Amino acid sequence: MRDGKEPRYTNIVFFVLLITGFVFILIRLTPPVRLIKNFIYYAAYPNVSAANQIFQTAGDFAQNIKSMVYVRQENIFYKQKNQELVDKLRNYNEMKEQYDNLAHLLAVEKIKGSKSVFAKITAREPSEWYQWLIINKGSAAGLYDGLPVAVVTDGGRLCAAGRIVETNSFSSKIALITNILSSTPVRIKGKNISCLAEGFNSNLIKISYIASNENISVGDEIEISPLSSAFPSGMPVGKIISVSSAQSTDFKTAVAEVFFESDALYEAVILVPQDENNSGQNK
Amino acid sequence: MKKVIYYLFFYAVFCLLQFFFGRYLNIGGVFPNFILIAVVYLGLSRGKMGAQTMGFLYGLTWDSFSTDVFGVRAIMFTLIGYFSGALSKNFDKDQIFAQITLVVAANIIYWLGFSLLYFVIPDGAGSYKPFVVSVYGSLKIFFTVLITPVVFFALNAITNRGRKYF
Repeated sequence: MRDGKEPRYTNIVFFVLLITGFVFILIRLTPPVRLIKNFIYYAAYPNVSAANQIFQTAGDFAQNIKSMVYVRQENIFYKQKNQELVDKLRNYNEMKEQYDNLAHLLAVEKIKGSKSVFAKITAREPSEWYQWLIINKGSAAGLYDGLPVAVVTDGGRLCAAGRIVETNSFSSKIALITNILSSTPVRIKGKNISCLAEGFNSNLIKISYIASNENISVGDEIEISPLSSAFPSGMPVGKIISVSSAQSTDFKTAVAEVFFESDALYEAVILVPQDENNSGQNK
Repeated sequence: MKKVIYYLFFYAVFCLLQFFFGRYLNIGGVFPNFILIAVVYLGLSRGKMGAQTMGFLYGLTWDSFSTDVFGVRAIMFTLIGYFSGALSKNFDKDQIFAQITLVVAANIIYWLGFSLLYFVIPDGAGSYKPFVVSVYGSLKIFFTVLITPVVFFALNAITNRGRKYF
């Protein structure tokens, strides 16, 4: 049995040697080592077989390096191609979005005697969600106070949304029909029952002044009455969701859900009368 | 300086035995693993440091001469040298039983490690099948174990004779 002491750094050397061995394996040194060995062997004992081996090993080694270079070049090429395709795809998505938007707008119905001005909704206060909103067009685009504002639904239908109450050069403030200050003459579609839609700062509107003997029911659609001075007659407004059961000698009321809130509101259509001479334009 | 000469001598003798005289010392194509015996002997007689370093150098040399993946034998002989050195205080290198036990264990470590490394990196294995016990491999271990006491005896004799030089 041995009694000698080991140097302190024996274990460190052990790990260094092991790591070196693993590095040799990982970097695949076999072909160059074989090449050197064959070369030395040829230098010591020159013969045809050894020379053949050198050329074969060197050929394999060079072939491997050439393959690596080609693979790297191909990799760079495909990375560039991939980047180009990603950019094209991004452009395509943007174009598709624009196309869908334009196709949607093309499907919007024409209102006789008025010009449609499309505007983006730029601000809508959460605390006044059902009262006001701001659009990005104003007097510079020919808008003025009192103009009716509609919203395009999925089917390309225009639904009454509100009226311009304040016009600046490049923005306008719209009072929605759900605003408590708004009241719009409406009628029950297909029944010719005239009544009044009043907002109460929610997504619902109150339908009042319905003659007590009239037959209205849940699901009836509300549209703009010919009595409205602002909105075109027949423009959809909402749908009745409840009718008051209270008995009254004169009138009964109902509650309707507005159509313009059924979709996300990003764009508004302002209906500018064409035959008017902009007499009511905001000064 | 004496140590360096000793190790150089040791390295040269076993390299010659393993790589140049193999064709004369084999029996039916089976040739003992002299380098493994040498690394175990160094571990028992000189400790971990000498055995692992020499094991690494022997491994690199053998890897250079072989067609296997470069570095595999270097790792295996370093491991065997380290563990032989670690057991040098528990085993007496002069006892035949200790010599045989350690050489058998070293052979098993060598075979298992070799198989494991080729199992992890199969693309360099060639015709070698990891974890497969072959007749040739078993005979090689048997022959190595059989010759171990002779090699140990010879090395002890040379070391004792040359003590004044080494």
